[in-house]
Amino acid sequence: MRSNGDMIRRKMPRAIGLFAGLVLALAARPPVAGAQWSRAYEQFYMPGDFNWTFRRTYPGADRLFNAFDYGHAILYEKLYTRPGADVSLLEDKEYNFITKKLLVSPPNLPLEEAAIEVAYAKMAPEVKMMFDWAHLFHRQVYDVLADEKLAQAEKDATIARLLSYYKTRPDLAFSSSPKSMDLMEGQPYSLAFRNKYPKFNGLIWGYHWLQVGLYEPLMTGKNLEERQAGVTAAVARFRQMLENAPEHMPRIMPMTAAVAPTFAKRYPEAAIIFDNLHSMHDVVSDILTNPKVPQNRKRAEILRAAALYRDRTSYVMTPAEWMEMAQMMGIENMGGPAVGILAGWPTPTIARGQSAAEAMKNMEGMAGMKMDSSSSAGAAGMAGMDHANTNMMGMNMDRSAMMQMHTRMMEDPVIRERVMRDTTMRRLMNEMMQSMPADHEMNMSTMMPSRARPSAPSSSTKNRSRTATSAKTRNSASMTKSSTTGKAKPSTTKGASTTKKAAAKPAPKPAMPPMDHSKMKMPGMEMPPAKKN
Amino acid sequence: MKQKSTRLARHFSAAGLIIFLTTWSAAGVAAQTDFYNTDRGRPVQIEDAYVTERHAFELKLAPVRLERSNGGIYNLGLEPEIAYGILPRTQIEVGFPIAFVEAGQQRNTGLAGLDFSAMHNLNVETETVPALGVRADLLAPVGSLAAEHAFASFTGMATRTTSWIRLHVNGQYTAGPSAPRTSVGASRVGGPAGLEVSRWLVGGAIDKTYPLSALLITAEFYGSKPIESGSRVEYTTGAGLRHQQSPTLALDAGLGRRLNGDNPAWFLTFGTAYAFGIRSLIPFGR
Repeated sequence: MRSNGDMIRRKMPRAIGLFAGLVLALAARPPVAGAQWSRAYEQFYMPGDFNWTFRRTYPGADRLFNAFDYGHAILYEKLYTRPGADVSLLEDKEYNFITKKLLVSPPNLPLEEAAIEVAYAKMAPEVKMMFDWAHLFHRQVYDVLADEKLAQAEKDATIARLLSYYKTRPDLAFSSSPKSMDLMEGQPYSLAFRNKYPKFNGLIWGYHWLQVGLYEPLMTGKNLEERQAGVTAAVARFRQMLENAPEHMPRIMPMTAAVAPTFAKRYPEAAIIFDNLHSMHDVVSDILTNPKVPQNRKRAEILRAAALYRDRTSYVMTPAEWMEMAQMMGIENMGGPAVGILAGWPTPTIARGQSAAEAMKNMEGMAGMKMDSSSSAGAAGMAGMDHANTNMMGMNMDRSAMMQMHTRMMEDPVIRERVMRDTTMRRLMNEMMQSMPADHEMNMSTMMPSRARPSAPSSSTKNRSRTATSAKTRNSASMTKSSTTGKAKPSTTKGASTTKKAAAKPAPKPAMPPMDHSKMKMPGMEMPPAKKN
Repeated sequence: MKQKSTRLARHFSAAGLIIFLTTWSAAGVAAQTDFYNTDRGRPVQIEDAYVTERHAFELKLAPVRLERSNGGIYNLGLEPEIAYGILPRTQIEVGFPIAFVEAGQQRNTGLAGLDFSAMHNLNVETETVPALGVRADLLAPVGSLAAEHAFASFTGMATRTTSWIRLHVNGQYTAGPSAPRTSVGASRVGGPAGLEVSRWLVGGAIDKTYPLSALLITAEFYGSKPIESGSRVEYTTGAGLRHQQSPTLALDAGLGRRLNGDNPAWFLTFGTAYAFGIRSLIPFGR
């Protein structure tokens, strides 16, 4: 025993020295961008009885979220550590593992992402913690909404406290001011990920669709059974998205205000934070994908973007504009609604790889136009239509029909109020009335008591934006959803059937050429009958 | 032989009862814990450089260590601890080491001191700098099996992560008077019974994480100089695993052997850990 002990005594110091040397060798790895000293730190989530309620009540959906953690983590790790790897590494190998194994049998517990995205976590630990902090908030909101013991007022109060707690970490918290799409899509590195990895990108957006979409059935369900049915339906729709990928996956980032409008309306700050979080996910993917950002600049660019997503001043828009943008981008491009899911699929209006700006341009170009679902199906890749050059009055427009429509619209108190609150619309209305017969102008003047006033009654940005939102939302919604007022024109209603009628139309038509308005008949003229599906 | 078996069964029964009670009591606590964050003795002596996250309490109710020395002498130690993330990257902790010691026909049970510690994580690991942490411990002479003197220890920790494994290195120095050397198997009655108090300790550990299974396996090797005067350097090796059982509970288990010295011994460890928060201690949490 003694000789054995002597041997140990002789050899062990050598072994310890060897081990220490190994550690030092690892620690002395050449720096990528100078020494990185980070003092970011983790913080515990807000305690409460509601914690883990979603896990208990909706285990299937909760486990999917655990799998989502893996998807994000492995994506960043592979993009960062294997920048020159073949596209198939993510598009096939990892994608297949995730969709055929992991999502089929998701992990039971939230994952330790640092053990998956090892290199990425060391490269940008501050941003990893930003994501972690937002994900905690995300999950706790599910818990609150899933807690059947809480009345709605208590849920409101608890989510307000969660929000306050989230904001106690300004070094980690995403801004609750909406950020414009320019921050995500207008940077030198933007769009790289979606173009290079369309399938994986669709998967990530599918994740985000479900993550924000599940709030909607939790909000709109009247009782536990309805909520469970709604969550089950949303999860089932997510799984359908994985079939024939990326055909039915979102084509632009799902916006909370579009996919979960009830939630976004009640908890706008939380919804904005989640949109900023998901935008930042895309930004990191773009930075890591785009070779224009050299490897030794990745960290700096990611930190820069993270700072912009945390502050309240850069790239901001008003909440009303954010709502409007979500509508203008088109829910059919985002994977469709998360409640009231139909058997078929909504028909996207843009091609995969296009930006949100292009989606909005398309929707704007089509707004107000009478198109059936088959037409909109062909809108993928459709060039924005330029209405500015369209002289409607010179297109054999039936003036009496126009005046009739005009009168009917202004008789509607809701429309009248909105027109009166929107300076641009009111100005256009006044100009149009000047070209009308005197009796019509007089008639309309009685409906517009403030017509003589030179300026808008409200000058606040918020009001302006809200008005603009209403007008534009109405236009874009006319292409996607049924009018809630029930006063929409028949043509609008046809357009509204886009989502429903797309059921039997899985594949969009080829890109539609720019439309020549000079050859189109306008209201009062006969339109081709809508195709039935 | 029969007597040994009876003693062994009794020790395992005691350990099992403690484990059962603490695991059962843990199930009702709403909290989260992290299998990835290894602690001293949970499951191995060498730990990582990270602390309990801010505002979290981590309760370790069943850190059991059963040691079988040469000659078939068993020592059972239990050290309930509670840690609190009081500041960013900083935790404070208090432990209550309880020892069950056999020395010949004599059996003693009692508190082996009060262990206060403060640990600070200097930084989070980056591409160029490993995570670094420092800790100060004070083992106060409280309890029937406690040492006669207080001992203050200072520990430095480093953690480096690769895509395959994590490496941890710890170095510790303990200030305080040397205890008189005791006979083999009598435990360290001059020092705290059932506790490993060393003048210095240097060692490392590696661990491999299986994130999809919430499982971590680890192995360690370290050398230490016992606090007893005249003792030789001892070398110890061990291995263990740490598993996240649920969002509220993590379990760990380990097996090790002190390879040389006056008292070579096998030991088994088992522990549970879970975290919770107290809303009134958290800003905006009321």
